[in-house]
Amino acid sequence: MNGSSKYAPLIPVAVVYAALFLVGRYTPGFWQLMATLLFYCALGQAFNIFLGLTGYVDFGYVAFLGIGTYGMALCVSRLADHPGLGWGVIALGFLLALVMATLLSMAVGAVALRLRGAYFAIATVGVNEGFRFLIEGLRIWNGSEGIIFTAQLNQVLGRDAASAVSTYWADVMVLVIAVAAAVVTLLYMRSRIGYALVALREDEDAAKVMGINVTKYKIIAFITSACFAGLIGASSWALKTPYVFPPEVFEIHYTIEAIIIVLLGGAGTLLGPIVGGLIYGISKYYLAVIIPGFQLLIFAPIIIVIIVVFPEGVVGMLKKKTRHTALGRYII
Amino acid sequence: MVLEQLLGNLIQGLVLGAVYGMATMGLSLIFGVLRIVNVGHGAFIMVGAFIALWTFNALGLSPIVALPLAFVVGAALGLLFYYSVIQRLLQAPELATLLVTFSMGVLLQEVVKLIFGSEFRGYNWPVGKLDLGLTVLPYSKLLACVGSAAIALLLYFWVNRTRAGTAMRSVVDDRVGAQVCGVNVNRVFAMSFALGIALTVTSGVLLTMFIPVGINPYMGGGYTLKAFVIAVLGGLTSPYGAFFGGLVFGLIENGSYTLFALIPGVEPFALTRFLSFAMLLVILLIRPTGILKAK
Repeated sequence: MNGSSKYAPLIPVAVVYAALFLVGRYTPGFWQLMATLLFYCALGQAFNIFLGLTGYVDFGYVAFLGIGTYGMALCVSRLADHPGLGWGVIALGFLLALVMATLLSMAVGAVALRLRGAYFAIATVGVNEGFRFLIEGLRIWNGSEGIIFTAQLNQVLGRDAASAVSTYWADVMVLVIAVAAAVVTLLYMRSRIGYALVALREDEDAAKVMGINVTKYKIIAFITSACFAGLIGASSWALKTPYVFPPEVFEIHYTIEAIIIVLLGGAGTLLGPIVGGLIYGISKYYLAVIIPGFQLLIFAPIIIVIIVVFPEGVVGMLKKKTRHTALGRYII
Repeated sequence: MVLEQLLGNLIQGLVLGAVYGMATMGLSLIFGVLRIVNVGHGAFIMVGAFIALWTFNALGLSPIVALPLAFVVGAALGLLFYYSVIQRLLQAPELATLLVTFSMGVLLQEVVKLIFGSEFRGYNWPVGKLDLGLTVLPYSKLLACVGSAAIALLLYFWVNRTRAGTAMRSVVDDRVGAQVCGVNVNRVFAMSFALGIALTVTSGVLLTMFIPVGINPYMGGGYTLKAFVIAVLGGLTSPYGAFFGGLVFGLIENGSYTLFALIPGVEPFALTRFLSFAMLLVILLIRPTGILKAK
């Protein structure tokens, strides 16, 4: 494989994201829908780094989005009184979100990633709830009252800039995160990390016997995935709607959405989360009009059908069909 | 004063713990026989709770009538899910069964929400109270406790004294060996899955005696987490381990609530919920085979 074709799969990724951005930017009234689609693509892309590459399910994934939201909220609300920092506060907010997501994922991973398969899933089922109740129980960061920082955001950036951040720049940031997550996914797939994880996914015991430090690579994928989730939380949740309430940001609903997106598109593929995110986002958008509040009633059976009938997802199927053809090197 | 309160709450905890234990037996039974973790466990408990609510409010019958009804509905749901989905995934990677059982739970929640709506409901079954001095126990809770113990005992005899139970134990011991001896493994799987779900749905009826206004399509999530803690306490594969795990968990939950309430500036209810999660991680880390198991 030469250097240029190694990165060929990034071309369709770039095309889709550029198209989403341009349609949203230049078609009046479409920005909101495009922003939602970008959020779902980014969520899938981030979740895929762990679920797709390792084959482990983290049912508490939303906790990392939640902690990222808290990172931004804490930074803006505590640093609002320091004039002159301006946009620096936002940058620090992203940094704090990253640090907090890393720390939480290291803490959870240190315990849960020692466990295999089903035991891992059991350990993660309560992470989001457990963390939410820790915040509420010990009244950390205002406890169950949450943090509202609309005024502080206005104070830091000025009213016009703050409103531009909420309606536009936060979504652009989500786009940047989604692209970055896609690039990292490809880099991992094409490196020692990816090969080790394939071995792990196929047969964990055999991989261990071959001398692969499976725990190390699982932890790398876990922390990377959590970091992207933290950044998504910081931009798509904290900056778009400047408040954070524990029951909302630790809602398991978002983990469910991430699972649907990754499986629909194809777990462990680069393009899967984008295809899954688009299908899920668009159908959810229109289902919300047709049968408001019951989208999951449609999607739950869809996941079951996907797993039973075509577990490889849309992109997984395309990948098989296009193997050894000219298209093949773009679709992974 | 505090000691009396603690003792009173521990009695309540023991009574609730028996029901918790019974509510977890189905989870352990299914994992023990099929090696499948039912991540949608709580949703089946929720279905049982709605059956109790519906029998009481719509039919005007006592929750005792709801018990056999819930068992039949549960067994039917179990068979339906087993033959339509689970059966096809026995050879699939663990990821598949985890996601499928999880989706089943979500599906049940949404169906119940479609029928009953998502507001919190409850019913009041006036049967009088027993005053123990330290605490007051309604007869409904006592009945749930005794009923749970009776069901646990019935399951014990069924597994150990009947032909079907023997077949089940043989599959647990050695899947291939059982098959060679003429046991229809697929049928044992179907039966165990159906029995596990039936027990879980039935436990939902008993749990309504403890939650006067807490019946809601999304009530199951908390019970899934509790059931995991209890199942892991009991070693995850043994239904009886689960029952005793439930008793221990009930005591810890109520005891810790009383103690957390003494600390100023915290919310004891939320901390109790956090404690159950922390317990889960600690037990999984130090003894994934269970605390209560002999070896």
